[in-house]
Amino acid sequence: MIDKKTHDERLERLMNPLAESVLGISDEAVLTETSEAGADPEQEAEHTRLVLRQASKALDNVTERLSNLRHTINSNRWHRGHWGYHNTCVTCGSFVSFTTATGEMRGDALDGLCPESDQFTIRRREASR
Amino acid sequence: MAHLLPYAESTAPPLPPPRSINASPKSALLVESDESLLSFLRRSLEDEAYAVRIAANSEEGLRLYRDCGPFNVVLIDYCVRPSDGVGIDYLAPLQKHGIGLATAIRQIHPSQGIIIAALAYRNAAEVPRPRELMHIPLLIDISNFQLRGLLEKIEVDRAIEALTSAELLRLRQFAAFHVRGLGRAARGRTGEDLLQEALMRTLIGAEDVQKGRHWNKDVAFTWHLIGAMQSISNHWKRQFKDMEPYLISEFPVRDAEGQEHSPLDNVASGHAAADQRLIEKDEEDRVLTIFKDDPEATQMLQDFLDGLKKNEIKSRYGLDERKYAATVKRIRMKLRGRRNGGGQGEKHDR
Repeated sequence: MIDKKTHDERLERLMNPLAESVLGISDEAVLTETSEAGADPEQEAEHTRLVLRQASKALDNVTERLSNLRHTINSNRWHRGHWGYHNTCVTCGSFVSFTTATGEMRGDALDGLCPESDQFTIRRREASR
Repeated sequence: MAHLLPYAESTAPPLPPPRSINASPKSALLVESDESLLSFLRRSLEDEAYAVRIAANSEEGLRLYRDCGPFNVVLIDYCVRPSDGVGIDYLAPLQKHGIGLATAIRQIHPSQGIIIAALAYRNAAEVPRPRELMHIPLLIDISNFQLRGLLEKIEVDRAIEALTSAELLRLRQFAAFHVRGLGRAARGRTGEDLLQEALMRTLIGAEDVQKGRHWNKDVAFTWHLIGAMQSISNHWKRQFKDMEPYLISEFPVRDAEGQEHSPLDNVASGHAAADQRLIEKDEEDRVLTIFKDDPEATQMLQDFLDGLKKNEIKSRYGLDERKYAATVKRIRMKLRGRRNGGGQGEKHDR
């Protein structure tokens, strides 16, 4: 019964059809609607693209920082935790985490060079040429 | 001598669709002189469903690119040889041929996704390269998972740049309404947070919602992100409920006669759940108040609250598609930017 539904479920029922309704309207209509609401559609769209780029860039930054410290990270092993995403170096096991919102990084992997990286370096150098 | 063009990642025009080289929807150009590495990298790309074109030296690579490019990805060995062992005129004396080739390709298509295999180096900082290629993805580790991650990243970055304005606006609005529907379970997150979370889980590419969400390339990127956002917001909701303290009154007990009652029937209950209900009820009331002078919109919102679907609402009131869409649009327009009944204007807090 509806009366027994909690208010959070009711709020969800109210907003989800509105969210889904956006998916059914034409390209032209979604641009017009944004203009009618007083916003610049191109500006708002590009801001959204920037939001996506920022998340992608945050991952680039942490990957590059770890690579510079010679840590090896399995890109499929990022886990979502209470504070951003976390992972461990596959060679030394040290920990790293970062957030997409601010790009902030934490963890002992950032404290210095991977202590286990040298043996792999020799192998790579020999293998490459 | 060719001139290096300034390369700005964020302003490069979107790449034209890659030319199909066979039935595979994804194409790759692999430029590698070393036969054993060539075999390994080719297999790795084919395992990721790329149709691979091979060039054994930098000149052949450039010719193939001019003839068949752009590709979904170009993978170049940093130390790839020129065809006759003589330097090519577009190379600076200390640059390796792979870097020269990457530069030449970026001059043709500035947004071409390129990976440089720099396996002789220990980390990205050690790899000499010009400033305009400073952010190019480098394959430092021969392990397959690093290549897989770089390939996925290039595909996702390409997809972001290819999104049209209408698609971006749809994603934005979808995210904003979804987060609003979470109520207190959003825990201060915005629609932009939800969108970024969907992208992150795509980039990390694992299979479950706890880790990530693999993008099946048969699905359009927009629809993938929509699905990811739905799944993440459900996860946030479940997570929030799990963290909420239970009231003893939520654990009814039975007495000797089998009558169900709460052990705290005669005791004032805790306030957390009541507070939550109040906040969410408040938001619901606020939304309904906005439409108090619009009976059609109010009725439709009540129908949403009753769980009625679009077709049920249309048939109940004899609405055609145009009239239904007009009312929903009116509701969306009024609610745009009115987060929690506060001021106008969406939160652009980054």
